[in-house]
Amino acid sequence: MSCSLVLALDRAEGALLRVLGTIERRGWDVLAVNAASDAQAYTVNLTLGGSRDPEILCRQLQRLVDVQEVRLVGEG
Amino acid sequence: MDGGRDHRNTSAAAAAAPARAGAVRSGAQHLLDALEAEGVDTIFGYPGGAIMPVYDALVDSSLKHILVRHEQGAALAADGYARASGRVGVCLATSGPGATNLLTGLANAYLDSVPLLAITGQVPTSLMGTDAFQEVDVFGMSLPVVKHSYIVRRAEDVHAIVREAIAIATSGRPGPVLIDLPKDVANARAVARPVRQIVTRLPAAAEARLAEAHALLARAKKPLLYVGGGVGIAGAERELREFARLTGIPAVATLKGLGACDPDDAHYLGMLGMHGNPAANFAVQECDLLLVVGARFDDRATGRLASFAPEARVIHLDADAAELGKLRACDVGLVGDLREMLPRLVHPVAIRPWQRRCRVLRQQHAWRYDAPGEGIYAPALLKQLSEAGGNRLIVASDVGQHQMWVAQHWRVPYTAAHLSSGGLGTMGFGLPAAIGAQLARPGATVVCVSGDGSIMMNIQELATLKRYNIPVKIVLLDNSSLGMVRQWQELFFERRYSEVDLSDNPDFAELARAFGIPSFAIERRDQVDGAVQRLLREPGPLLCHVRIDARENVWPLVPPGKSNGEMMGCAA
Ligand SMILES: Cc1ncc(C[n+]2csc(CCOP(=O)(O)OP(=O)(O)O)c2C)c(N)n1
Ligand SMILES: [Mg+2]
Repeated sequence: MSCSLVLALDRAEGALLRVLGTIERRGWDVLAVNAASDAQAYTVNLTLGGSRDPEILCRQLQRLVDVQEVRLVGEG
Repeated sequence: MDGGRDHRNTSAAAAAAPARAGAVRSGAQHLLDALEAEGVDTIFGYPGGAIMPVYDALVDSSLKHILVRHEQGAALAADGYARASGRVGVCLATSGPGATNLLTGLANAYLDSVPLLAITGQVPTSLMGTDAFQEVDVFGMSLPVVKHSYIVRRAEDVHAIVREAIAIATSGRPGPVLIDLPKDVANARAVARPVRQIVTRLPAAAEARLAEAHALLARAKKPLLYVGGGVGIAGAERELREFARLTGIPAVATLKGLGACDPDDAHYLGMLGMHGNPAANFAVQECDLLLVVGARFDDRATGRLASFAPEARVIHLDADAAELGKLRACDVGLVGDLREMLPRLVHPVAIRPWQRRCRVLRQQHAWRYDAPGEGIYAPALLKQLSEAGGNRLIVASDVGQHQMWVAQHWRVPYTAAHLSSGGLGTMGFGLPAAIGAQLARPGATVVCVSGDGSIMMNIQELATLKRYNIPVKIVLLDNSSLGMVRQWQELFFERRYSEVDLSDNPDFAELARAFGIPSFAIERRDQVDGAVQRLLREPGPLLCHVRIDARENVWPLVPPGKSNGEMMGCAA
């Protein structure tokens, strides 16, 4: 199963590492990642493979302090 | 959805303006100013090259610094301080080896949701990334075991970052926060930038969800409270006990939930799980509605998850939205402040037969203390000591069989009276945690229950006890072995004992005396009364070396992969 997420992160030191680390540690495979930034924020588009509930992953990402927003945009 | 951005408002001190607003100060001074402004009074640490500017600033500070003898001791003492007080625990170390020595403490605090602030020195910014002397990327190494972390890049940011870090560590679901402070930033002088106010609160549980929960309660014939560490963290013991009293719903607790329920409540069945009370485990297997309050379905509590509470619908209350449905689907999930939610959850239930059933289970499986022989039966000693000391006791346990005996037999009057490394199971936790707890709660009598394996993991902290004359009482349960591992080898590895014998232990009473700590040893049952009296009466630190039978095991035991209903050492 795969899912797609769009994240908005503070442009803070370690924010990307934290997000990618959380995703892999929680049992997901990063299939594609695309990140862009402006002065304040990163926007990250992710396609992930895994068998766990993506809603739970979203909540695990949401509780990271650097994460402003998590959107689950696709599941399949 | 509101997981981590729920920093509850911190103390009044935090809201006050920094004491030295507008002054040009060094980064190191700003660090200490910010700690003082947050009401921190005690920090645990160990100096070294990269953190020297902070140690220099400490000379002029009112903060009390406790010099431990290993940085792991600093982190675990700060953890014990936090658990016993509910306030942030602060530890300090230098870069490189000092920082790596903190990591176990960070992981320990992370898995048990303890508000901890770790401050590490770092090599100067210009040398970062060059493999400089004592440079390690502690920020990177600690990412999986912190709630949040910072590398401070500018002296003007130090004050605000410390304030923010403490708000994050203590709010919502608490956890450890790391601040890595490069030496040049600590030395640089600047005016502190203003603190961003972080005032967010946990969401209020939705009325509709509560109505669903009430409907489940009304229909339940066999509801059961499954109470975890979240209750103590939320300061919701009163609300939980009130809920239990008003509804009469029986309760079981996790290792970290011990003390949340009134231990004398007739409907309380004790700890569940691998070494739980059989009454608690059987009740979970029979219940038809599980009210999960600040617990997270840890495998040590649930046994084989697929057959945990197989008949039950689930109502899950937690401060952390990410726990709902993580391991067990819930019928109703309630995210928010337990203090606010529990009173709203109260609903009439009709459960007389179930209460009777639980009372029978409780009687049937009451612990027995009539072990044969002249030797000391550790469970009986622990029960006697905790009952004799009563509510003034705080127990800090190490990890192993003795930890499980404490969990089973110590009378825990409230959650902060029982400090145990639950999630990480860190041998060496007991002594430093006891030190931290005693400094946080000087009026309490703090007992450290340790094992002959565990005590050696942070034995150097006896020097800290001595230096500050910290009156911790150590009860060292010495079975000449790594008993818990030995038990598993006996039961699950065909008695092929491998590296668990410690019969060449040092003479612990002698060792304590070498550190300047008074001590005595006991090995017969008739010596227990005297030992308990001495432990409770003597001022100052004291070590009681208790020799026990190496063959004693912890019962019951849910074997790995089995359901909680399939306990060894317990008649069904
Ligand atoms: C740091 C660490 N290393 C290893 C372990 C694995 N372990 C769990 S219990 C135990 C034995 C503990 O021995 P002791 O402190 O004497 O306690 P006992 O079980 O004998 O009461 C070991 C080695 C651990 N939990 N922590
Ligand atoms: Mg032992």
